[in-house]
Amino acid sequence: MELQLQNLSRQFGRKCAVDNINATLAPGVYGLLGANGAGKTTLMRMICGVLKATSGNIRLNGKTMQELGERYYTRLGYMPQDFGFYPDFTAREFMLYMAAVKGLDKKSAKSRTEELLYMVNLQEAADKKIRSYSGGMKQRLGIAQAELNHPSVLILDEPTAGLDPKERVRFRNLVSGFAKEKIVILSTHIVSDVSSIADTILMMKNGRFLLQEPMDAVTDSIRGKVWEVLADEREAAEYGRRFLVVSLHHENNMVRLRIVNETSPAAGAVSVEPGLEDLFLYHFGDVSSFL
Amino acid sequence: MLIKYEFLKILRKKSTLIVMCFSLVLTAFLFGLPVLQYQTYNQDGVLKGREAIAYDKEQYAEVTLTEDYITGTILGVQQLFENPDNVGYDGNEKFLIGDAYWNEIAPREHLLNIIAKTYDSPNENSGYSRLSDLDITDGANFYKAQKSKIKKLLDTPSRELSERQKEYWNHMAGRVSTPLQYGYFKGWEIIISSFELLMFAVLAVCIVLAPVFSGEYQSGTDAVILSGRYGKTKLIKAKILASYLFGFLAFTLHIAVAFGLPLAAFGTDGWELPVQIANTVIPYPFTFLQTVLVNTGVIYLILFAMISLTLLLSSVMKTPYPVLIVLVPVLFIPVFLTPDGTAGVYNLTLFLLPYRAAMPEIGKYISYQFGGVVMDAFLVRAVLYTVLTVVLLPFAGMGFKNHQVV
Repeated sequence: MELQLQNLSRQFGRKCAVDNINATLAPGVYGLLGANGAGKTTLMRMICGVLKATSGNIRLNGKTMQELGERYYTRLGYMPQDFGFYPDFTAREFMLYMAAVKGLDKKSAKSRTEELLYMVNLQEAADKKIRSYSGGMKQRLGIAQAELNHPSVLILDEPTAGLDPKERVRFRNLVSGFAKEKIVILSTHIVSDVSSIADTILMMKNGRFLLQEPMDAVTDSIRGKVWEVLADEREAAEYGRRFLVVSLHHENNMVRLRIVNETSPAAGAVSVEPGLEDLFLYHFGDVSSFL
Repeated sequence: MLIKYEFLKILRKKSTLIVMCFSLVLTAFLFGLPVLQYQTYNQDGVLKGREAIAYDKEQYAEVTLTEDYITGTILGVQQLFENPDNVGYDGNEKFLIGDAYWNEIAPREHLLNIIAKTYDSPNENSGYSRLSDLDITDGANFYKAQKSKIKKLLDTPSRELSERQKEYWNHMAGRVSTPLQYGYFKGWEIIISSFELLMFAVLAVCIVLAPVFSGEYQSGTDAVILSGRYGKTKLIKAKILASYLFGFLAFTLHIAVAFGLPLAAFGTDGWELPVQIANTVIPYPFTFLQTVLVNTGVIYLILFAMISLTLLLSSVMKTPYPVLIVLVPVLFIPVFLTPDGTAGVYNLTLFLLPYRAAMPEIGKYISYQFGGVVMDAFLVRAVLYTVLTVVLLPFAGMGFKNHQVV
């Protein structure tokens, strides 16, 4: 199975939200990283066929979305960002409704609904109105509906937004469980959400892919550019002004800073193993957008 | 399955319950008002409520309006007028007083007025006293007078009717079977005169259906359903069918309340009687029941067209509120527009707008000519609203199908 994005672009007026994206995706988990406004959601909407591309093509196994028609959507599971539910439906009704929208027959719809509600640990709340659900419960229901039709392509747009750390861990485990033999594209601006489950990192900036690298090689490009420095408070403040500081940690009266920089920021700086957050900061430069 | 869930989506909303309850209460109030306010008079004074209805029913004796019967009736009135003790005069017209009025006229005043009006000129309304000076030497010639009045009405220059239109109406009036059967028909009369009040029910249905598509955009569920296999195909059909199903059922409930109240209070008497006993120049060869059914059919078509319009607006607008901002004027601006005749583009258009189109206006000879083809208001309204229903729907579907989640 192969999902191809060919010269994909989307313009809103004069702004190019997605700018000539090219990628060929095979089964695996893709962490789509980018700051807010990078074009992640626009790209995902185009892949899901709910937003037309200004130009370019999306092909699944060589055939365009238009050629495949309904067959394309049969292979697709989508959990949009901040998507609404029907507050007057119960979770079970919502799942059965979505199963009908996805074209499942009555019997499969019923069994798949029960199976998924169990998997996302909502079986006991299945007959409660969705209006009474917490944010975490809604997110779990969101991924459950996306999985109803056993999709080959699973698109998850900011699935962990608004979840507490415990819910995020649970959510990551769910996605890992669903990801086998699928193309899973998981968009987030929270780096830690993808670092443990993604096979490949797609990093977007200004509507373009900055890099498409396997997870284990993604940080190679900044190897030798991440440093740790031990400094006093005054020096730490100075480093903060001059360099990209990924983190700082107080140790007795000293501060340990993690800095991303092309060259050693100080005489005593030690080169360390780069991480995904370092990479993100290296490219986006503003820590506030992803922490 | 999809239709069931789409129907449930509409039904489960709190706003649906609130709007429907309010609308049903309003309909009950509007159609119950003539019942609550109904009153009549006898020699002892005002009668109200059930007593008034029972008294009135007794006055409407079921008779066949043969020439002989009408001649005899007119003669009876004339004899009453011959006795000066029975006659009062207000400086303008003569009228009967005392027992002559209460015993001979009051029990059948409606019938006498209907007979008298047939002999009036088109713009005249003189009441039973008109019968006192009618020449009936050669009989009443009631049906001849009826035809003559219809001819005068059709020839009125302000009506601007073509020869073909006159021929159309004359032909239709000729199909009214005579002699007319007379009897009690109050319940049906109230329904026929109150049809336009059902537009509030139409509005209520449209309010409930305004979020069918736009509600998905507003709540952010559009992305997930449009990316489903049937999101752009069967789901659209399901939404449309569920909307029509809801509209039909909800409106039928309103109809049941609207018709049920006057018919429960005044009875179903008169359903088989010809509408000409309410106004002898009505050209439609219908009974009261047929008139109500035909106009109810037209109102259902108006409802369906308004549902189509609502769905179209809903599919292209981001929230349900702008849908209503467009719909309310469409439905109710005609309330404030008064026809100044029955001819001309303004009037003929006005008679087709939703609020006016809900009124039967069966005695107005409203007709439309397209080349050599003449159609009456019922038919044009039916065709227009059927066409609107059918034409608008695909656009509603396309609006949702082409919706871009931005």
